[in-house]
Amino acid sequence: MMLLLGLVLGAAFGAALQLSGASSHTKITRALRLKDLTIIKLIVVAIGVGLIGVHLLDLSGWANMKVKDLYLPGMIVAGLIFGVGFAVSGYCPGTALVAAAEGKPDAWVTVLGGLFGALVFAFMFPDLETILFSFGEYGPVTIHGLLGIQGSILAIPLGGFCLWLAARLPGSGGAQ
Amino acid sequence: MLGWWAGGVAIGVVLILAVALVQPIGVSTQYVVLDGVLLHHVLPDVASKSPYLAKTAPGWTLATYEFFFVLGIPLGALLAAMVTSRFSTRVVPSEWSKRFGSNPGHRLVWSFVGGFLLLFGARFGGGCTSGHMISGVSQLAVSSLVFSVALFASAIMTARWLYGDGRKQ
Repeated sequence: MMLLLGLVLGAAFGAALQLSGASSHTKITRALRLKDLTIIKLIVVAIGVGLIGVHLLDLSGWANMKVKDLYLPGMIVAGLIFGVGFAVSGYCPGTALVAAAEGKPDAWVTVLGGLFGALVFAFMFPDLETILFSFGEYGPVTIHGLLGIQGSILAIPLGGFCLWLAARLPGSGGAQ
Repeated sequence: MLGWWAGGVAIGVVLILAVALVQPIGVSTQYVVLDGVLLHHVLPDVASKSPYLAKTAPGWTLATYEFFFVLGIPLGALLAAMVTSRFSTRVVPSEWSKRFGSNPGHRLVWSFVGGFLLLFGARFGGGCTSGHMISGVSQLAVSSLVFSVALFASAIMTARWLYGDGRKQ
């Protein structure tokens, strides 16, 4: 039953990514080159809806939250490495799967590179753990937790701001 | 085809349903799980030597909610691509060939390198675009905000440098 639920939710996610063009190398690349912000607007709307929805669920006590631990230097290095991979491949780990399903060979190879990168990380982990994760560890902190307030007080206006921002950002202006 | 508005709402709704029914969404961990299960199948001793693999793929099984969620992504994408008849077997994307030429081997090598960095970075940071940017930022997680800011700063600088934007325009 849980497996079927996973498959259905995953399929809905994959279909949404495919239908909104998030698996397009052209759209991702043009977004990162700041020439066509459509994909940025898509992500900002998703986060805006997520902020409001997740925190409304939380208020009702129905949310299954799972906040990741903060390792301050490690998290920055990780984001920087990921960003280079994002720009070079033009995919992220999820959209590479979507583009692979569309038949794009470079996405298949991105997935293979990803499997290899994950494997190398797994075997380097004991060493990386002692070097980078040993300091600057703060646990699963949230902004509202740090401020000592209820999450929805911050999340709902912030979610509204995201939706406003997405509407205000320029779209695919300029030549395609 | 969905515009950014409808597409963004659809992704947000999937996240809300996932948080209500099970847990926030995530993709990149399952790359490790697939690695671990495959490696354990071929070389069980080597796989068991990695505490990270053993911890990430408990029981060396793919029959989990998390793996099936990720398995569903290409499945849903395939159905959507069939409906919109948007299939493509091009090796070199247009932006890439405009800048680097149409050599398919060149594009594939860099796709592999890009994929390697994506998952190495994602496992290092404990999440990717799905787990950190969409799920994590929606929960107001500080780790996810830090990861997302670093990710976008690095991706934008790399893309602009890679595609020569500072010089030509």
